[in-house]
Amino acid sequence: MTSGLGYIKVLRTGPGTSIQDLGRIGFAEFGVPSAGAMDTVSVQWANTILRNRLDAAVLEVFQPGLKLQFMAPTEICIAGAEANIVLNGKPVSAGTQQISGHDLLEIGAFKTGSILYLGINGGFQTEEVMTSRSWFAGITGQSQCQKENRLTYRANSKALNSTVSRVKWNFDWIKRLELAAYPGPEWELLDGSNQKKILDGEFTISVLRNRMAVQLEELLPNSMPEMATAPVYPGTVQLTSGGKLMVLMKDAQVTGGYPRVLQLTEEAVCILAQKRPGEKVRIKLVQR
Amino acid sequence: MTPTLRQITPLTTEFSWNKEISDGLLQYILFIKKGLLEDFKKEIKEVRLGFKTLSISLHRPLEKAEIQSWLESKALSAAPTPLPDRILEIPVCYSGETGRDLQSLAKTLALSVDELISLHSAPLYRIHFFGFLPGFMYLRGLPEVLNIPRKRVPDRTVPAGSVAIGGNQTGIYPMESPGGWHLIGRSPILFFNQKEKYPVMAEIGERINFRPITLQEYERNLRHPFQKFNK
Repeated sequence: MTSGLGYIKVLRTGPGTSIQDLGRIGFAEFGVPSAGAMDTVSVQWANTILRNRLDAAVLEVFQPGLKLQFMAPTEICIAGAEANIVLNGKPVSAGTQQISGHDLLEIGAFKTGSILYLGINGGFQTEEVMTSRSWFAGITGQSQCQKENRLTYRANSKALNSTVSRVKWNFDWIKRLELAAYPGPEWELLDGSNQKKILDGEFTISVLRNRMAVQLEELLPNSMPEMATAPVYPGTVQLTSGGKLMVLMKDAQVTGGYPRVLQLTEEAVCILAQKRPGEKVRIKLVQR
Repeated sequence: MTPTLRQITPLTTEFSWNKEISDGLLQYILFIKKGLLEDFKKEIKEVRLGFKTLSISLHRPLEKAEIQSWLESKALSAAPTPLPDRILEIPVCYSGETGRDLQSLAKTLALSVDELISLHSAPLYRIHFFGFLPGFMYLRGLPEVLNIPRKRVPDRTVPAGSVAIGGNQTGIYPMESPGGWHLIGRSPILFFNQKEKYPVMAEIGERINFRPITLQEYERNLRHPFQKFNK
């Protein structure tokens, strides 16, 4: 068994690759967004399988075309979107992989879902700011991965899962159409016909989709006034003055002025995070 | 002043006041916030504030009835403590170089640039809460003559330290960001420091005012930490 710090060298990356954990909690009153992984279900799976702390930092990947070189042995677990994964030139499946020094990992086309997670034994050891390693512009030194970046982790050559039977990977939950949501603080201010449209309609994921918010394409006739700026959260669905439903995600600001018509459950946020532009969702109201 | 209690999720509860925004309301919101943080210290994960709302995120669910009865006992207790007296002075260089919309905004408002500057730097502004960006203060006190709708198309980049007007509000961008407000100047000082345990320059409820400075003074003090100006 070797130990000490190892690192991943980023040989190639698309936009939107970043280090994330379960978020920066406790600083919202200073205006600091929580940040953190968009799909915490996948992150917690990866960390559970690796026997990491559930909040260990992972690499969040939005685009195919990632190419990494590991400089020290470890074990990784790939979760989230189903993608073509190639290790040292050979296709491998999602789940755990033993890694030796100088191994090359490539992430190709995504087949199901839209965000892939790479968990690593012990979690990434990049800088911790305000109790979290989640990258966020203005808080951490970096907000997106660049070519030549070095991402540190604890080197560990001890095979952890070699004797454990392989996890059977299931991508079906990502395909779920229904998003469970609590009525938002301003739900009752919506008129009946808009409430009905939200509950009966199917909504399309817009191309306007990032770590701050996911917009839905279908417009609702909105005559609700803007309100005094109030708290919002990841999963808050705002109805903008233009009639768009905008679902706030992990990098969203902590306050907003649009009516908050719904609040998605944490699991629904993860399902939505995995949707691609053009895919459909439905809202299912749940009671508190 | 008793708020409406609303459970948003099993782990998020919001207190809202259907009242005009005022010092009195802010005083009461801060009174409830302090009480909650004292009495539910173990349960509360995070607090968020708005002009008329206060919300708590919890580690484990609390019964609505439990919070409701706590609120009722609070309403019977002593009057809330007054807002803090401290006034923080924020140096601002109002100029075309540091505030690209200064000239055009003055023209739209039918004011001279000097009139706009003196109207903006005269009042004391009350800090109601932080939001939008880390360390961004929501301030109340902008004179009505300076109200102006936000830009139809937001700017892609607003420089850090920019002092701006949007709607009936004024604010300072602590860091570079996109933004839809009209930029009238820039402050040289740092408004947010993530390395400090208390990362912002002021406390909610305190007041600030803007002191006009020259471009030379701006450049000399660029990126100075805020503590230097308000010992």
